Amino acid sequence: MSEANDDIIQVRDLVVKYGDRTVLEDISFDVRRGETFVILGGSGCGKSTLLRNLVGLMRPYSGKIFINGQDFTAMSDEARVEVRKKMGMCFQGSALFNSMTVGDNVALPLREHTPLEPSTIDIMTKIKLELVGLGGFESYTPAELSGGMKKRAGLARAMAMDPEVIFYDEPSAGLDPIVAAGIDALIRKMQNTFNLTSVVVTHEMASVELIADRVCMLHRGRIVALGLLKEVQASQNPFVRQFYERRPDEEGGENAAYIRSLTGGE
Amino acid sequence: MTAVFGSAGRLALNGMYGFARVCVLVVDTLNWLVVAPLRGKGLRVRSTIEQFVEFSVHSMPIVGLICFLIGAIMAMQASYQLARFGATRYIANLVGVAAMRELAPLMTAILLTGRSGSAITAEIGTMKVSEEIDALEVMGLNPTKFLIVPKFLGMLLAVPCVTVLAMFIMMVGGFFLSTVVLGIEPALYLEQAAGALVVKDLVTGITKSIFFALVICWVGVYRGFQVEGGAEGVGRQTTSSVVTSIFFIILVDLFFTTFFYFV
Repeated sequence: MSEANDDIIQVRDLVVKYGDRTVLEDISFDVRRGETFVILGGSGCGKSTLLRNLVGLMRPYSGKIFINGQDFTAMSDEARVEVRKKMGMCFQGSALFNSMTVGDNVALPLREHTPLEPSTIDIMTKIKLELVGLGGFESYTPAELSGGMKKRAGLARAMAMDPEVIFYDEPSAGLDPIVAAGIDALIRKMQNTFNLTSVVVTHEMASVELIADRVCMLHRGRIVALGLLKEVQASQNPFVRQFYERRPDEEGGENAAYIRSLTGGE
Repeated sequence: MTAVFGSAGRLALNGMYGFARVCVLVVDTLNWLVVAPLRGKGLRVRSTIEQFVEFSVHSMPIVGLICFLIGAIMAMQASYQLARFGATRYIANLVGVAAMRELAPLMTAILLTGRSGSAITAEIGTMKVSEEIDALEVMGLNPTKFLIVPKFLGMLLAVPCVTVLAMFIMMVGGFFLSTVVLGIEPALYLEQAAGALVVKDLVTGITKSIFFALVICWVGVYRGFQVEGGAEGVGRQTTSSVVTSIFFIILVDLFFTTFFYFV
């Protein structure tokens, strides 16, 4: 997989299991450099699990994930640290360190991974916070920020090391439509300004239409649609249609039974 | 019958998994504490000092107050028996030896378990629930190096220091009660105490305190990483952390008391 191409992430035949339960099966896709790739799907479809595998918080049962042509799944923990310096992640709940100020949160990766002078780190922290519209909030604690501001601060922290790829876990979850639209615009801005590759996990259709270049739709741990946004929108797969048309499951239908089987409530 | 064997097997398996996880935690901590610095991956000195101050300086008022009172209580209880034999001068011996060998290390450890061990579990548990531990990993920062080692080192330094002060304060409590309430001559009390105490008493107390520190920190951290779910999980594991820690402290105490009795 060492051939240099435009794919920054390549996932091949990924299988993920929790104990005996298979939650992801036969997952293969590529993420191209500079695009916004959206992983879409309903609750319990395995999209967050897929994201956790992509960033190395879980190791898959089988299959490979290549990042910049390097086999991320087979790497030692030390080698992973080097790859992780070039990736950033925005967590669903922002995951800012509550014991630190917003400025210290953003400065942390720089302090730990670079030999930069404190004064340089201060300037870089200010620039990153300005970038997400939080200039002047360095000395605030995360508890003093609103939900949308926390997400922005989380993005500033993820941007601290100038990553090549940034992962977003449900970026607009729990936000009102106006703030959510602001976050979507920010994701677009990051992509346009820095040619940043973004991998976004979401189930918010409004966000997808604003930010996605390509979409991968998961259903029951498998990919049911993969391609450009328009192609997926036009897909005739029954689940894709149901998802787009916001049709509920029939009571006690297959999807509910599937989620019960995943959570052990069968 | 099958059910009985089934539950016994499950219990044994869970116990073994737990033991294996504790071993991984211990090896990982020692790796980042000893091996990694030798390979040029430094320790987080500032964070370690902060933790040391939190575990020692900030816990001193409550540890000091309680140890002073226990010293006084011990003197009073000793007098209750020794006065019958006209041997109240031996209160100094009893308070001094009990404080140094047993009560000061034990009370310090129990108070630090309640104050700092529970805080370690709650902090790590909350960080786990709010994905802060995951955030550290994604940033390429090892949670053991970043979180555990500073707490471990801070605790390892703090508990013996606080224990030595607690020994002194406990003896002051005994001295205060004996001289003010029981009317024992201060000079006689001091002379008696100085004659009774040997270096081995101090070594016994400090050795115990070092192992108590290991228990408080590792139990606190282990329970913190065991947190699942939300606030309820944090509460459950924090309670469990204090109970488990006190149990192991008493066990370690018994071991070293027996050891130093024979050595």
